[in-house]
Amino acid sequence: MSLKEIFEKNPDRRYIMFGGKGGLGKTTFSAATAYWLAKRGYKVLVFSVDPQASLSDIFEKDIFGKGPVEIMPNLFAQEIDADQRIREYQDEIRQKILDMYGLDQVPEEIENYIQAAAAEPAMEESAIFDEVVDIVVSGEYDYYIYDLVPLGHALYYLSMASVYDQWIDKITGLREEMAEYDQVAAVMRREKETEEDKILKELQYIKHRINASSSILTDKVKTAFYFVLIPEEMIILDTQKAAGLFAKYDVPLSGYIVNRVIPPELAADNIPDYLRNRMEMQKKYLHKIEQTFGSEVLTNVPEFERDITGLPMIERVANALFEGQR
Amino acid sequence: MNAVVTLLIGLVAIAVGYGVYAKSINKNVMNPDEKKATPAKMYMDGVDFTPANRNVLFGYQFKSIAALGPITGPIVAVQWGWLPALLWIIFGTFFIGWVQDFSTIMMGVREEGQSLGALSYRFVSPRARTILLTFIYFYLLLIMGAFGKIVGYDLMTNPAVPLGVLLVIGVGLLAGQMTYKWKMDIILTSAITVILAFVGIWLGTLPGVKNLFLAINGGETSPVVFGSVTQAQFIWSLVTLVICYFGAILPIWRWAQPINYVAFWIVFLGIAAGTVGLLVWRPSIPADFPAFTNWNGNLCAASDCSGLEKTPLALGALWPLLFVTIACGAISGWHSLVSSSGTARQLESEADALYVGGGAMFLEMFLAVLSLLTAVVGVGATTGFAGYVGMIAAGKNAGVFAVGLSEMMSRIGVPTSFGLPYGSVFLTLMALTIMYLVVRFMRVASAEFMGDKVPLFKNATFGSIVALLLSAVLIYTGFWARIWVLFGGANQLMAALTLLLITLWLMSKGKSYMWTLIPFVFMYITTIGALLLTAYNTIHQVMTTPGLAIDLVVGNWLAGLIAIYLVISALILGWDSLQAFQRQRAASVEAKAKV
Amino acid sequence: MSFPPFITRLGRGVKSTFRTLAEIIYGATIHEMVRDLRKERAHLEHLFILIVFGDILGIPILPPYYTLHLLPYIAPNITGWKRSLLRERDLTDLCDQEIG
Ligand SMILES: Nc1ncnc2c1ncn2[C@@H]1O[C@H](COP(=O)(O)OP(=O)(O)OP(=O)(O)O)[C@@H](O)[C@H]1O
Ligand SMILES: [Mg+2]
Repeated sequence: MSLKEIFEKNPDRRYIMFGGKGGLGKTTFSAATAYWLAKRGYKVLVFSVDPQASLSDIFEKDIFGKGPVEIMPNLFAQEIDADQRIREYQDEIRQKILDMYGLDQVPEEIENYIQAAAAEPAMEESAIFDEVVDIVVSGEYDYYIYDLVPLGHALYYLSMASVYDQWIDKITGLREEMAEYDQVAAVMRREKETEEDKILKELQYIKHRINASSSILTDKVKTAFYFVLIPEEMIILDTQKAAGLFAKYDVPLSGYIVNRVIPPELAADNIPDYLRNRMEMQKKYLHKIEQTFGSEVLTNVPEFERDITGLPMIERVANALFEGQR
Repeated sequence: MNAVVTLLIGLVAIAVGYGVYAKSINKNVMNPDEKKATPAKMYMDGVDFTPANRNVLFGYQFKSIAALGPITGPIVAVQWGWLPALLWIIFGTFFIGWVQDFSTIMMGVREEGQSLGALSYRFVSPRARTILLTFIYFYLLLIMGAFGKIVGYDLMTNPAVPLGVLLVIGVGLLAGQMTYKWKMDIILTSAITVILAFVGIWLGTLPGVKNLFLAINGGETSPVVFGSVTQAQFIWSLVTLVICYFGAILPIWRWAQPINYVAFWIVFLGIAAGTVGLLVWRPSIPADFPAFTNWNGNLCAASDCSGLEKTPLALGALWPLLFVTIACGAISGWHSLVSSSGTARQLESEADALYVGGGAMFLEMFLAVLSLLTAVVGVGATTGFAGYVGMIAAGKNAGVFAVGLSEMMSRIGVPTSFGLPYGSVFLTLMALTIMYLVVRFMRVASAEFMGDKVPLFKNATFGSIVALLLSAVLIYTGFWARIWVLFGGANQLMAALTLLLITLWLMSKGKSYMWTLIPFVFMYITTIGALLLTAYNTIHQVMTTPGLAIDLVVGNWLAGLIAIYLVISALILGWDSLQAFQRQRAASVEAKAKV
Repeated sequence: MSFPPFITRLGRGVKSTFRTLAEIIYGATIHEMVRDLRKERAHLEHLFILIVFGDILGIPILPPYYTLHLLPYIAPNITGWKRSLLRERDLTDLCDQEIG
């Protein structure tokens, strides 16, 4: 089945992700897919969850931290500025503390904590994570295209989501036990109402946020996850391993896309040895890909003569991706 | 003299003691500052530091300090005659008891709610803290011995009592289920469970039940199992230990607290009924009941003992022994622990300290006087002095209270057939509710001190069983009266240490301190005297009495050794306190020189 | 309907006496139970703060972003929490029980 057919047959799959090792073409394919869908009249948002995002490069437009930016009719792109979001968020927390306790200054100990938390390495990721939730739950777009981070990170996200989920269940249990003590104390003091535990409510909210994101990642109906690979030995092996792991986390794998295949029409008689060798090598690995992933390989995208930047190039990739033949 | 006059004397003592002496000390020495934030407010953490209303704290303090101590001590002390006991209760409370309780609260409040251990470390010496901790451990162990013997030897051997006790425990468990699990209204729970508890006590008095328990005891005169321990004593002491075991290892809300809650109402209603009964009755102290028997508290020199199966043990010299025989009810060191780590951390305002600490102590004095009257008029007016002597000779010290209380309650229509077992169940519960908390406490203490060296002690079951085995040794051996005196001794050493601490603290603050120094000196010397005398009495008795039963030999040696240990650590403490005094003096001279 | 002043005063007196008595009985019974419940609860609260904000095990228990989200609610506990964690305890701290 071609990529185009898959999209046409599964209109419910509104969350599109491209995964794979670094530098294989995830961002490129995200942009191309967004372009193709937009051209067909769907309202599309492609957004980057990578702190080192490259959507600005590919669209040749600075969109960093500017929210969804319209690239062309129906096509919107967004790069999250994690630092800015963290700063705003810190202020929000400070304000909340001031309001809740009627203070005019955040106590030193608390302020130290706020700053220390922001400096933690996981802070950036979790801030982006939360923004993604904001983006996808809004439901304004027909398609959401995740420009994912390299494999390792994506896996980390997925595994953390389930770890977090368990933790939240545990500490929610703790809060519930505490609420139980409150209730008994209220009975003994003959108080009618117990003050509800705000933290319990917040935990439920957090759980909901984390689940919203990870459940999309693992939703077979709404989500399509494509692996990008290139015909090279190490990449094939790594992709195989990663696919196994993703399956373990219930990510609905929808197929594999081979990138950077040297166009066969270049195979003339008098080409340099260098090129011939490479083409032969690619042939060997394409065969191996065929053996390993079989019919799940959806399409081969040729190696272009230049970087993929700007809409015309994106269009060419989109055509190769969707209209091309295997 | 009429019993009501005795009560009135007590009331006058309260009026003068609380209304004049305590108030003036409070105003002139402590100068409480209502506006100052107490540790309860400053460090409010929901764990230890939480402010509570003064009436609530008064109730809390009172129930924490008033237990079996103020009830049993006076009854035992009547062996010297009722007058010395009455005078010590009144004057002890007046000059020492409230002073200690109140000042400990104030010291705690002003020293950021620090525990007594920490304060001893600071003001006396590092090892003073360790010594205090060993006093506490022995005090607890001796409670187990003293109360355990009361319950297992005196109260539960009465076949009309055990079922009532067991049923009330069952009702207590039900109360726990109703409040903590079913979350039922507390007033409804109280009403249902208190009624059920009454029914339970009544069921225990039915003839069939009595006969059943009589059979368990092995007949009216229970056969001896070993030494001088009878089958009934053996069985019921064991049951007591088992009950304590559950109280120690089950969650506090599952066992100890709800049972204590139901027990509170039984005790509260009993005391209320007894007091009203006494006022209705208004008996005179019987003419044959001596105000003073003799210096050695030898009942057989004051009354004819020829008809008695066992002769009661002469207590020994009035000074120093009376002053440790009645501890709670006059002055008790344990109160200071409650005052510092419990009450001081909950006090809402410094101005509440006198009402809470002083007030509760004066109320306890009143309870002690009432208890004294159960022996002197409750028993005395019905069976005469000989009746009292007979009960003491039979080892029924606590039984005296049950008999006396039921006599008083009978004046408002409670039949003695119910009142007597009621009084016994009341006392048994009072002892039990304390005992399992003690085992709990010993378990925690051993886990804390030994847990690092012997990890097994961290196991709750193991820690509890060790505590119970130690208790069993005390319960099954020795003379009760000796254990009681030792218990009082350990308690009064804590009192002395506390008074010393308060004195040093007052010195460090440049306040007048004679009013605590003199009580300290008195308590220190008296208690060491009492312990030395007990060591001598117990060991002397083993050496000179031929054919003493094996349990009594073991018990006496044990008691003697504990007494010697307590004396030695008290002497070390004395040495350290002398140095602390000199340090404090030098410091205050220096401070003056600077000014 | 209005009562003569002395009756209202008497009524008020009786009422406040009852109130005092009820408070004292509460102090002698339920107070300790409620205190223990609160203690248990506070222990759990400390545990909660420790695992959520203490990073004791070095693994992120919650994403730091969400940890901050909870901060306003536990802010008042943080100082008390540190105090009670750091406070030295000995046996005499446990002596607020009804023994003796
Ligand atoms: N088929 C292709 N022909 C030519 N250049 C390509 C092709 N696919 C990708 N590239 C180029 O390869 C580079 C890496 O691609 P891209 O940024 O899409 O990879 P990525 O998987 O998103 O990388 P990262 O993991 O760093 O996010 C880019 O410069 C892109 O223009
Ligand atoms: Mg990329």
